[in-house]
Amino acid sequence: MESCMKVKNLTKRYGKRVVVDKLSFQVYRQEAFGLLGPNGAGKSTTIETALGLKKADGGTAEIAGMNPEAKRKKIFERVGVQLQSSNFQNNIRVEEICEELSALYQSPADYRELLHRFKLEAFMRQPVEKLSGGERQKLSVVLALLPGPELVFLDELTTGLDTAARREVWQTLKELKEGGMTIFLTTHYMEEAESLCDRIMLIKQGQEIITGTVEEVVGNSPYDNLEDAYLWYMEEEGKR
Amino acid sequence: MRRFWTLYKIEQKLGFRCPDGLIFGVAMPAGILVLISVIAGGKAVGGGGYTFLQSAFASLTAVGICASAFMGIPLTIADYRDKKILKHFFVTPCSPMALLAAVVACGVVTALISCAAVSVLSVAVFGYRMKGNILLFAGAYLLVMAAMYSIGMLISGLCRTVKIANVVTTAVYFPMLFLSGATIPFELFPGKLQKAASVLPLTQGIKLMKEISMGGSAENSVRIVVLLAAITIICCFLTKFTFRWE
Repeated sequence: MESCMKVKNLTKRYGKRVVVDKLSFQVYRQEAFGLLGPNGAGKSTTIETALGLKKADGGTAEIAGMNPEAKRKKIFERVGVQLQSSNFQNNIRVEEICEELSALYQSPADYRELLHRFKLEAFMRQPVEKLSGGERQKLSVVLALLPGPELVFLDELTTGLDTAARREVWQTLKELKEGGMTIFLTTHYMEEAESLCDRIMLIKQGQEIITGTVEEVVGNSPYDNLEDAYLWYMEEEGKR
Repeated sequence: MRRFWTLYKIEQKLGFRCPDGLIFGVAMPAGILVLISVIAGGKAVGGGGYTFLQSAFASLTAVGICASAFMGIPLTIADYRDKKILKHFFVTPCSPMALLAAVVACGVVTALISCAAVSVLSVAVFGYRMKGNILLFAGAYLLVMAAMYSIGMLISGLCRTVKIANVVTTAVYFPMLFLSGATIPFELFPGKLQKAASVLPLTQGIKLMKEISMGGSAENSVRIVVLLAAITIICCFLTKFTFRWE
């Protein structure tokens, strides 16, 4: 399988605290890869360090065959990113933020179509502040999809979405994946990982615990569902 | 270039949508101009052989620069950094510099609107005529703008949060506004206060613009031109090393 992202021994420290601890993994083309772990496990830091937003203290990351620090502009023409808890300019309207960010890409996707896909086109002329938390979250996914990316990073993609909206977002992402897109996501929701991810990686305190398909990860534990298995892994890790 | 125009267009729309920039930058100097002209426009200042309006014109054209340099630009940038909007530009093929450039361009436009409003009012309503060379004056105006904006950029680089930026910009903006002669005629200050206020960069900038607008001698001005140029270069240099995107 062709690899879309390669991370080797990635390490990031804040002072003395090691937040990402020698993580290694690969993401294959057209798969959905989920990074799971409790709050503060280092999920967001892993994404930001791999993308070159934060300087790594060790290890390497390669995205679409390129080093993110050296080829930033090239990479982000093809890779979309949703950062956790995105904020927007005061008074900006949905259409304006879409237009502003579209202008940054050479051949952006049609944002009107994306807004339509995520059922946001009715809010086009509304100020972003007036949107509900869930709608704003969907907007940040739309913005991550603006480059028409071959690889998209989604950090806590559906936090704040209600059940129906979450399902819709999953459905849309699955369709985009069918169309050839690769997805890297972080989540707290086991249901999300089960529904979307081909493979998952569990981390705790920046260290890998286990990587595999959902079936493999569950099968490796004494339980028969991901939620119990996940809690078991976290506890087992605590004992060691 | 298309990229810049789109960014600028949207940022400018946002700027006009909240009126404080226009109130502080345009309405206020225009209002003060009317007041000064009505109260004492034609009166001679001290024994200086020029009128209050002649003295006020140059200073009031600088208010727009002061408002955008010490309020508009640093507050917007601090806000964008706080909201991680600058950071978001790192995960696009663009750079946060493009957004900064658009924000600065909005400041320039607000300042120019302010200058235009003051000029039109002075000339059309109060019969002001500049004694000095208009092109030289425009050059001085742009130099003052460059120096003040570079100080503003340094402030926005140093202030880590919106709250700190609020405090610092207020602490810089109001003294510059009231003590530099931008609003209250400098000639009315007692000697000691004049000396103290001369420390402020904007005071020097306004002095330069006043000299030129009244057709004064260039001797004194060279020193100020050098000073403003030095401020611009030093602050840009410091900004480069102190600026944080997040």
